[in-house]
This record gives sequence, C-alpha cells and structure tokens, in this order.
Amino acid sequence: MRLIVSSLLAFCLFAAGHAGASDKVHVEFWTMSLKPKFTSYFKALVTEYETSHPNVELEWVDVPWDAMQTKLTASIVAGSAPALVQLNVPWAYDYALYGALRPIDDLLGADRANYTDGAIADLTFNGRIYGFPHYNSVNVMAYNTALFKAAGITHIPTTRDEQLAIAKQIKARTGQYGFSPALGKIAGVFLEEGLPLVEHGKAVFNSPAHIALITKLADAYKAGGLLKDKLFSEDNYPASIDAYKSGRMAMLEAPPSALIRVRDDAKNIYAVTDVAPVPIGANGIAAGGWLFLFAMPKGTTGNVAIEAARFAKYLTDDDNQLAFAELAGAFPTTKKAVADPRFQRLRADGGAYEKAMAIGAMRMNVVRTLYVAGVPGFERLNKRLQDAVEAAIIGRRDVKSALDEAVAYWNSKLAH
Amino acid sequence: MVASELDARAAEPAASPQSRVRSMRAETREAVRAWLFLAPALLLLGMFTFWPVLWGSFLAFTEYNFLTPPKWVGLANFEDLFADPVFFISMKNSLLYLLIVPAIQLGAIALAVLVNNGLPGIRVFRAAFYLPVVTSVSVVGIMWGWMYNEQGLINAVLQWLHVINEPIGWLSDDRLALFSVMLVTLWRGLGWYMVLYLAALQSIPADVDEAAVLDGANRWQRFWRVTIPMIMPTILLCTVLSTLSAVKVLEEVLIMTKGGPVSSTYTGLYYAYDQGIRAFNFPRALAASLVVSVFCIALAWLNFKFIRPRHR
Repeated sequence: MRLIVSSLLAFCLFAAGHAGASDKVHVEFWTMSLKPKFTSYFKALVTEYETSHPNVELEWVDVPWDAMQTKLTASIVAGSAPALVQLNVPWAYDYALYGALRPIDDLLGADRANYTDGAIADLTFNGRIYGFPHYNSVNVMAYNTALFKAAGITHIPTTRDEQLAIAKQIKARTGQYGFSPALGKIAGVFLEEGLPLVEHGKAVFNSPAHIALITKLADAYKAGGLLKDKLFSEDNYPASIDAYKSGRMAMLEAPPSALIRVRDDAKNIYAVTDVAPVPIGANGIAAGGWLFLFAMPKGTTGNVAIEAARFAKYLTDDDNQLAFAELAGAFPTTKKAVADPRFQRLRADGGAYEKAMAIGAMRMNVVRTLYVAGVPGFERLNKRLQDAVEAAIIGRRDVKSALDEAVAYWNSKLAH
Repeated sequence: MVASELDARAAEPAASPQSRVRSMRAETREAVRAWLFLAPALLLLGMFTFWPVLWGSFLAFTEYNFLTPPKWVGLANFEDLFADPVFFISMKNSLLYLLIVPAIQLGAIALAVLVNNGLPGIRVFRAAFYLPVVTSVSVVGIMWGWMYNEQGLINAVLQWLHVINEPIGWLSDDRLALFSVMLVTLWRGLGWYMVLYLAALQSIPADVDEAAVLDGANRWQRFWRVTIPMIMPTILLCTVLSTLSAVKVLEEVLIMTKGGPVSSTYTGLYYAYDQGIRAFNFPRALAASLVVSVFCIALAWLNFKFIRPRHR
C-alpha cells in the first residue's frame, strides 16, 4: 500500500512538473558566429533572463555565418524557424522581400525611440521595420606614422582623392603599399562616394563621375599604391590586416577592433600607429557601417512573438548593448549607449585602439549600412559590374568601355 | 555435342506443371531474398542520391527560391545560363583543366615506376608522394595560397635566384591564376594515381617480363610492349577518374581564388556552387550542374572509346 501511495505521489509530482515546463513559452534565438568568444556572455544573459521571466524558456543556437542563410531558409520552409534570428541588413532585406520575416512595428512600439535613427532607417523596408537593432560597426583609418614620415607626408587624407594620391606617394618613396580599398564590394565603394548604381530603373554607373573614380583607382593600382593581395576579394580584411601588421601597407581602413589584433600581434607597428577618421564620401556617410539585428521569421505568432520581442528588447537594451559592444569592440545602436562616456571620451592613457573607438563613436551619427536594394537578380548583375571594374582597374580593359558594357547588360536585364 | 546426346535430351520427358511451379517459386523466393538484401542500400541511395538527382533535375526547369513553390519555366534557366559569359568562361576553364589529365597520368606512371623497386627506404618516398592525398584540401589550399603570395616562398626563391625582379601575382594575375590552381590539383592528385599504378605494376606476373628478356627485348621495349599494355585497364580507370575530377574541380578554386581575378578561375562546378550557395539561385545552379554532368558523361564515353584495352 505504501508503495502504491508513494508511486502515485511521485507520478503527481512528475505530472505537475511536466505541466509547469509545458506552460513555459519556448523562445529559440539564433546568433551568427558568436561562439566561442561570446559563449559566457550569452549563457549569463540567458540565465539572468530566465530567472527574471520564469514563464520563458530560452534556447540559444549559434550558427556559422556561411551556413546561416541555408539553415534559416530551410527552417522557414520546414516551419521550424527560430523566434529570433541575428542577420545583417542586406540579408534581412532579402528575406523581408520574400515575405519570410515578420514586421515588428507593433511589437517595437514606443521603444523604437530608444534606437538611433540611422539604425531604424537601416531596418525600415517599404515603410515597415524588420528587426531589433543590435550592434554596428564603422571604419577608422589607422596609419603607420613611420611610413608617412619616410614618404614625407604631413597631411592626413580627408578625401578619397587625397588618400589615393598619398598611396602613390608612399609606394614611390618607400616601396610599400598605400592601402587596400574594399574593391570586392564595388557597389559599396560607389555608394560611399554618393554615386548611385540605378536611377529610375536604369543602370547609371557609367557616368563621368563613376568613370573618374575607377580611373583614379586604376592609376593608383598601376602605380603600385594599392595592396594586390585579395584586392578584389569579397573579404579583403585578413590580407589587409596582415599587410599592415607586417609594415607592408601604410593605411588600414577597418573597424577599431582590427587594432586589437595589431596591438597583440605586432607591437612595433602598433607603437607607430595613429588613427584618423576614414575619408568621408560625397554623400556624407562614413564607411564601414554594418548593422546586425534580431529579426523575427514569419510564422512567429501569439505568445511566442510577444515573449520573443520582450527578450529581443532586453538583448538590445542600453546595458546589454554596452556590455556586448565593449566585449566585441563594436558599437551599440541605442541612443543612450552610444552617448556613454566610455565611447565618447578618449582616455588620457589610451592607445590607438582607444582613440579608434572614440573616433568611431563620434561617427555613429553618419554611419549607415550601404547596400543595393530593389534590384532583382542583383547577385548576377553585381558580378558583371565587379568583373568590369576589376578588368578596368588591372588594365585589361578601358574603363569607359568596361562600364558601358556592364551598364548595357544591367539595362537589358532590368528591362525584363 | 554429339548427335546421340541431342537425341537423349529430346527424349527426356517435359517438366511437369508442378515442378515448373516449384521452380518458379524458388526463383521468386531467391529474388525476394536478393531484394531484401539490397533494400537498405537501395533505400539510402534512393533517399540521398536518386531522389535528389531527380528532384534537382526537375528544379532546373523551374523558377524556385525555396520560399515559394516551384514554377515550371521550361528551358528558360538554360537559355539564361548560355547567355551568361561567366558560364562560358567556366566551361572553357573546365576544358583547360583537362590539360592536367595527361600530365598527372604521365607523372603518376613515372613516379610509380620509380618507387616500384626494392631500394632501401623506398616506402618513405611512397608515403611522401602520397601525403598530399591525405592532407585536407583546406590545408593544401591555404598552404599553397601562402606560397603563391607576393611575399610567399615561390616569389622569395625566384627573387633570391634573380629569376624575377618583382614578385609575380600567381593568384592575382588573371593570366596565371588558373594555371597556378591547376598545379595544386596536379600536386594533390599525383600520389593517388601513383598508388593505383603501383598496384597495377606489382600485379604484372614476373614471368611475362622474363619471357620478354629471353626474347631479347631491352628495357624500353619491355616498358612499351609489356608493361604499358598490361596496365592499360588501370590507365583507362585513372584517365576516366582524373578527367572527371578535373571537370568537377571545386575546392581548390573555392579556397584559393573564389573564381577571381576577373572570373578567370571559375570552373563549371564552381559556377554551380557560386550560383546555388552564394547567390541562392538554385535553378540556375542546378541547370549548370546538369550541363556539367552531361559534359562528364561525354568525356567518360570518349575515354572508354579511345583508351579501351585491346585484350579483353
């Protein structure tokens, strides 16, 4: 009899516990390539949130960035998408275009005012907001003062033209490279300079201004002012930082976090490094903006959507953004966090990295994620543009004819 | 067969209906048993090979983006494909890549002949030549990427020897990049084919060679008249395998050049990969894959037609 009673009691306790667990709202969220560096940050954050919100059960999944689109698309098709997923702006735009994301205007509500205007503008597609802004990035220009001195350069470049001229001078006088512009993302280079790719449904990147920019780049390339390694690669960052660390390149355009690597790996170069803002293009936008956000895939509804939105706001609030930004060497996207003294004020004992963070924070009001939106089949068109520019810069083709041909191709496709 | 035997057979009574039924049942049981043994493998092949091939082939004729149902568009994806100059560059490069087939075969045969002797320490050489085969392609790609770098080993040695004044952009010069990548494929493949040829050489009976010696054949004649004909089936196998590998090359390009500079290292399969995985244009990627498959089949057929061993 005692055995039966104790068994019944155990069953009731188990059933009660089980019922309690199933009452919890399960919120699965995916981040992009944040393990293992941020494992303890996210684990602590999850534990803290679950303690303060006992009705919510969080599941954190970190997905490598190069597998993210495949996994996310497959999960949306299979109806098993997470409640929140970390994306960059161009990917979010693409998913929103296909109706694969849920707009979050209703869930964001008055909290919209907490985020910077630039971040909200980056996430507004067709008048709807498609994500909770997380962290952002902006480029600074680190430069090797020893190479500048050896080349007789006293003026820090503030425009792209000046920077290209200095690159040639550095090559001529020191034999080292000037810098490595992100030519693997030529659309972004045009946009930074305020040069549009498409106007009124037609490609316009063969205008005299576009031709002049590519011609200047080609001249600098011919003079040996641009680093050749991976110059046209989609990601030229590793090659650039290696060249800068080894003293083979005078200027490094990169997010401030790049200076941590210089500091750790090449102390002699770090000692002669100073930092300046990157030259700002004609449209007044600082280069290197790359906003990450938490988007909500379609099919996230009811309580899950409400709890996921609450968690996303927590994840991206002032304190958590500040903590994450400090860990990652990135920039927060809430107004209060950006204004925090630890970003805006330069410490007296600060080195190049601290100066870079201060300069970056000051630029947050002019940073935007630049990408080409609303062009169907952009990948293929961009490939044609990329090939044309590459052939022109390395001297295989005349700049004008290469751009004319690419424009003709774009227009033949855009007309359909 | 003599006439009396035929007569005796004709005189045998025809099998009774019962025995025919019994025999058919036994055959059926045997067939069922065979299918049961084959079933697990067929199931796996069906799920992970046949079905994806069929479904992928179907999708090549549709407009499909994963998020909306496929829509039949006939040959539109192929028309689109053949209007893309990068696809032509890719297929041209795949054809150029075939240049490594004779090089790899000759090199592998030469290596196999060299290591097919009883010299002390020869196993070390065999292992050394085979090492690139078992090394991860990512490691190989990164290592050669460093060596090809402007500041890399190759340029450093050539400059030290005063062969060149300025470093050469092995991977950044569009006229050289494809050949630089091909060299890596050649280096990776030599050991594998060397082992196959070594096995073939070691399976040649010693008495055949001895007979040729007795007939007065010199070393060269023995190699051409005895060794090569005896290893012809292996030559066919290796040529088909290396032809298909050359057409299907992907990893080296992906790791070392990503198709650049100016699309000069795109290959057929890299184009398909790029369209599918990077640009998310699955129908065009599948259409390109189908074209590459047809290309592979045609090349395999040509190999069989021209290198078929004479003795069968």
